[in-house]
Amino acid sequence: MAAKSIGQEYVKGLWAENPVFRQLLGMCPTLAVTNAVINGIAMGLATSFVLILSSLVVSSIKKLIPNQVRIASYIVIIATFVTIADRFMAAFFPPISKALGPYVPLIVVNCIILGRQEAFASKNSVGRSLVDALGMSTGFILALLLLSSIREILGAGTFLGHQVLGEWFKPWIIMILPAGAFITLGILLGLALLIEMKTQRRRA
Amino acid sequence: MNLYAKMIIVLTLVGLISGGCLSVVDLLTRERIELNRQKEIEEAIGKVVPGTKNYTAAVEEKDFTVYKAKDEQENLIGYAIYAKGTGFQDIITLMFGTDPDLNLINSLTILEQKETPGLGAKITNREEFLRFWEDRECGQKLTLRKPAVETKEELSPSEVNTITGATISSQKVLDIVNLSLEQVKSLKNEGKLGGEE
Repeated sequence: MAAKSIGQEYVKGLWAENPVFRQLLGMCPTLAVTNAVINGIAMGLATSFVLILSSLVVSSIKKLIPNQVRIASYIVIIATFVTIADRFMAAFFPPISKALGPYVPLIVVNCIILGRQEAFASKNSVGRSLVDALGMSTGFILALLLLSSIREILGAGTFLGHQVLGEWFKPWIIMILPAGAFITLGILLGLALLIEMKTQRRRA
Repeated sequence: MNLYAKMIIVLTLVGLISGGCLSVVDLLTRERIELNRQKEIEEAIGKVVPGTKNYTAAVEEKDFTVYKAKDEQENLIGYAIYAKGTGFQDIITLMFGTDPDLNLINSLTILEQKETPGLGAKITNREEFLRFWEDRECGQKLTLRKPAVETKEELSPSEVNTITGATISSQKVLDIVNLSLEQVKSLKNEGKLGGEE
């Protein structure tokens, strides 16, 4: 693989290697908390916080960690940052912390984070790992934002709690329920694949 | 260095540093989290027993707490009862306020619930559900009105309304209230709520 420029390292997280649409990682929070835009944003930010700091720590101590215990060490590092994020949210944003419920502690097992440590931060410099984590975080936040916007607008007629569709609109309750998450994600994944195929054909 | 020794040292160090960081974070946030919880309780008591200036916990259990609500002159103006119970999908946490004789429910508020959005979750909605819980006579067990009625006048004083499409959630809320009312009444009869200060 040819060395990528720093810019490419960032941009790849947005589309080409988007964690949700291209790598299909982190599906649990993607499906579970995108019933309202505010929850999606909060989950995106919390995950980014954990991902960026874990990448920084893992890439800076990668030489010290023996290969045999690397996964255990990564998990402890990730769990530390997740607990910090969880406590911080409970202290300063109690309503959001309540809405996200058990999904904040579950960031520990979000495959995006462990995946990036294993696939990238443990093999690259601190600077590159930081850029990679930033790119992946942005891609994840954008994906959650898209999914939660569609679900909140169709499911409740609101965006960030503000009424955007008129009185005539009867909310599609299914969009807020788990089934709506699967339907929306399925359609979006199909669209992402379609766009990818179209652009590849043009390139060929 | 021996590989095993290195593995043990690294993992121990990672664990220790992580533990250290977490205890600092806990120190910084513990007070605030406790404060948030208290504030939430305080607001709920103010809502279910209007005019509360001060309150004390008379009975405190894990899933059931009775607060005595008092006015400026420290007169007892009612009880606020905090209770938890199973809902349709998950635990429902609620609080309701009564008069000092436990004969009338002022109002009810839902603190936490994970009922179906758009159906059972209407238990948090005043227009659809909570207003039918205001000023209910609770000398006897409360009952559920099925099918739902449109106006409060159609209900008898000890009846509460159902949410159309969410009978189970409505019933569960009623069960939690009836059960905790029974508990409070027997506590009061045993004199465990303290004197009428």
